[in-house]
Order: sequence, then structure tokens, then C-alpha cells
Amino acid sequence: MRMNKFWRTMIIVLFLAFMIIPVVATLTFSLSTRWDRSIFPEGMTTQWWQLVTERAAFKLTLRNSLVISAVTAICLGVLVTPSIYWAHVRLQKSKPIFELMSAFSFGIPGVVLALSLLRFYSKIPIPLVNTPNILVAACMVLCFPFMYRPVANALDSIDVKVLTEAAQSLGCGWWNTLFRVIIPNIMPGVISGCLLVFSTVFSEFTLTNLLVGSRFKTFPIYLVEFTRFDGRQASALAVISFVVAWVTSLLIIWIAGRRAKPTGGPVGGH
Amino acid sequence: MTSDTLILRPRRKPGKKLLVWIPLIPVFIFGVSFQLIPVLTLLRSSLFRESGLTFEYFTRAFTPTIINSFSNSLKLSTATAFLGVVFGSLVAMAIISSPKKIVRDSLTALADVTTNFGGAPLAFAFIITLGSTGVITLILKAIGVNLYPEFRIYSITGLTIAYLYFQLPLMILLIIPSLLGLKNEWWEAAINLGANSSKFWWHVGLPILAPALMSSFLLLFANSFGAYATAWTLTGPDVNLVTVQIAALIRGEVQLQPELADALAVVSLLIMSLCVFGYIWLSGKANRGRS
Repeated sequence: MRMNKFWRTMIIVLFLAFMIIPVVATLTFSLSTRWDRSIFPEGMTTQWWQLVTERAAFKLTLRNSLVISAVTAICLGVLVTPSIYWAHVRLQKSKPIFELMSAFSFGIPGVVLALSLLRFYSKIPIPLVNTPNILVAACMVLCFPFMYRPVANALDSIDVKVLTEAAQSLGCGWWNTLFRVIIPNIMPGVISGCLLVFSTVFSEFTLTNLLVGSRFKTFPIYLVEFTRFDGRQASALAVISFVVAWVTSLLIIWIAGRRAKPTGGPVGGH
Repeated sequence: MTSDTLILRPRRKPGKKLLVWIPLIPVFIFGVSFQLIPVLTLLRSSLFRESGLTFEYFTRAFTPTIINSFSNSLKLSTATAFLGVVFGSLVAMAIISSPKKIVRDSLTALADVTTNFGGAPLAFAFIITLGSTGVITLILKAIGVNLYPEFRIYSITGLTIAYLYFQLPLMILLIIPSLLGLKNEWWEAAINLGANSSKFWWHVGLPILAPALMSSFLLLFANSFGAYATAWTLTGPDVNLVTVQIAALIRGEVQLQPELADALAVVSLLIMSLCVFGYIWLSGKANRGRS
């Protein structure tokens, strides 16, 4: 691939500017005394950060978001990992069903998912509608491909059948094979999946807003409430969201990079 | 194969063929109860009433406001998908043609980090950057360029810019493998045969990339069509999109028969599934071309 050096530099600089300026502006705005009539901030201060983090609602919504993200990630990991392992080793023909479930999760808009769950479960007398439970279920649907992809890729990269046979010929049962042989080998994939689910649910707004509304306030809901009420405090909250998303993404990239190295990688592989 | 038949087959007795599905029951229960049945409920209630099959809900749901919302959503998705495909491919080309590994790696990482980045914080960051008293707006004003009132970030144009923030990185990640599949020898052969850069792209590069570009377009289109949080935070009810309309119906801001909301949801699901299956079909083609 060839590209003129001048154009290459121009394109990369413009791309970086587009991606970085909004984030840097938000951070600077949250640290400025006032910045809505001059090119430069009129002064710097940390008071917006102090004000916003002191509120009880801040701690509550942050905790709610952390809990709901962690619960979704764990539930999805527990549900999906053994199933995909089984599909890989014993039931290859069930794989299209998993692909279809993934495609469904990607294809259904958040508002339609919320509507469909409310329309069906509001008629059913189980404690689901209007509780955080329905939010976890909806987030599990939303994040299904994020868990499925990394785990399936990790399973593809090791020789599942040979490992399973080796373990079983040494007298290992299915559960022992899964927990002591397979999972340690696909750990990077499982962790990447969980982190991706975590960061997606942490920034989830649509499902939360429509399914549980103000009954269970999460961090993004709190942020949107603030954008209509105090911009500088809202910008501090936005920066926190950016940081959470970056840290989880960088962790995922770091894990993927470690896996790519020849040493310390998984057993087997192509 | 032999070890497979030796150890795994003897456990599969003829009558126990169905037993092998048992470990997948939990995941299927999940899929059936939270994916399949709820969506079938929507489908049924939008198509049937006591007297039987009807399309009445569909014809009644499409009021001028709703038709306008579909037209806005389709326009917005086409614009962001098209711009995403064009600019994303250019940036991806710039990234992979960079001689320094550190530049390639860190820019790909940046795309990785930012592609899942939508929603409220993104919308707010754009208000601070390009809003009526935004940073860029103020700087441009100081050098004599007045963005407002012709441009507004709280409009479809503004939304297009904000959506590109996650569409561009997604396109970069989607297209890099296909761009890497373009072999240097093809370029050299074309140049040796007297082609220039544009001739190479017109006759060789684009035809090879076409399935990948089209499948990416569909994925970006779907990505934008289903989005709600960014639009809602940035423009509130000001910009009339399908997802904004459905959300308003759910919250009960608009009094309407629930069946009409179901009909809207079914139509948008139809559009989404066309995009997703088109994407799967075309990306299969693109992958076959590569290997």
C-alpha cells in the first residue's frame, strides 16, 4: 500500500484532532471556572469535581452502575463459557444458533429490545418488570456477542478436542476438564469478554432509561440529568465515563497483546 | 479423527442423541425467553387482533410524523455510514501505510478504544466542543468564522458529526484486514503495466474491496439506525428519529395504542435484519476473496 507522505500525515493529524479535541475540551471544561465567552478558560479550579463527587447521588449511581455491570459480566460469563465449550467439543452443529443469537443481539435496537421485554413480561407475574433484574436480562441480551466472540475465538485458537481427550483419558470428568484444563487455557478470552461487557453496561443508557427509569439510577442516567442542569459538573461526570471506558479497553488490548506473544501464551494453538 | 472416534464416539449411544443437547439448555432458555418470545410477542400483537390477521396497525401507525422520523433515521444512517466508509477507509489506509509500527499500533488501539464509545458522555463532549458556546465555536468566532446560527450541533447535521466519532473507528477496524489483503505485487504489476494510482484503484483496488466496503456500509448503517442514547442526549425530542419516537411511546409521552408502537418496532427490526443479514452475506464473500 502506498500513500503520499504529506497526505498520510494530514489524514492522521485530522483524525487525531477529531478524536482527541472533544475529550480534552471536556476535561478542560470540567476544570475551568468559566469557559463560555473567551477562547481560553478564565481560570482553573477543582471545585466542580469536589461538588459533584460529594453528592450522595454520585456515590449511589456509581455503585449501582458498578454492581449492574459486574453482575451482567459474571452472569454472561457463567452462562456462555460452558455452553460454547460444549458446542465446540460435542455439538458443532449448534454453532449457527449461537451465531444467530449474536446477530439478533447486534441487530435489535435498544429501544425495540426494551419495548419487547416490557410488552411480554408486564403480563407475567414474576418479579422482573420495574426491578433491576430486567435490566440485567436486557444487558445480557445486548452484550451476548461481546462475550460470545472472544470466548469462541479463544476456543478456536486452542485444540479443544485434543485437550479434552487428553484430560478424559487421564480420568477427568466434564466439569474437571472444563475448570482445570479448558478455562485456564481460554482465560484471556473470558476476561476480555467480561471486560467488554462491563464497559458496555457501565455506559448503558437506553435500556436503563426505558426499563427501570428513575427507580434504579445508574451513572449515565445521572450524567444526562446533570447535562440539563449544570454543564461543568456534568463534564466532570463525562470525564469519569471516558476514563472507565478507556481503562477497560486498554486492559483488553493489553491482554490481547500478552496472548500474541510466543511465550506465556495458551497451550496448543495453530 | 481416529482419536475422536475412539474416545468421544462410544459415549454417544444411538438412543442418547438428544441427551447431548442437555448442557445447552440454560443458554437456549435464555435465548428463547429474552430474545425469541418477546420479539414474537411484538410481531403477533402488531399483526393480529381477535378477528385475525390485519395490516391495519401498520397503516395507522404511519402518520406524517412517523413517516418523517423514518425518513430522518434513514437519511442520518445513510450519511454517517457513507462518510464513515469513505473517511474510515482513508484513515485506515494512512494507518497501514505508516512505516512506524508504533504509529500503526497506537492508532489501531485508539480506534479500538473509541468505537464502543457512544451515548451520553460523547454527546455532551460534542456540546462542549461544538455547541453554541463550545470551544471550537469560540475559536472559530475569534478568527471571524461564525458557525451559528447556520450550523447547530443539536440538529441532524450535528448528530452526523457526533455519530462519526464511533462510526470512523468502527470502519477503520472493519476495513484494515481487507486493506492488508491487497498485495503489494498487484500494485507493482499495475504500475509496471502503465497504470497510475487512480487507474489502479478504479480497476483493481475498488473491485477487490467492493464486498468489504458494502458489508461495512451495512454494518455502519445498522449501527446508526438503532442508536438512541447519543441522539437523545444531544437533541432531546428536537430531532425526530424512529428510536426517539419508539422511546417516547414506551415512556407514554404520546398516547397511542400499544399495537401501533409494536408496528413501528417491527418495521425497524425489519430494516435492521436486512442490514445484518446483508452484512453477514457480504462479509462472507469478502473473506472468501481474501483467503
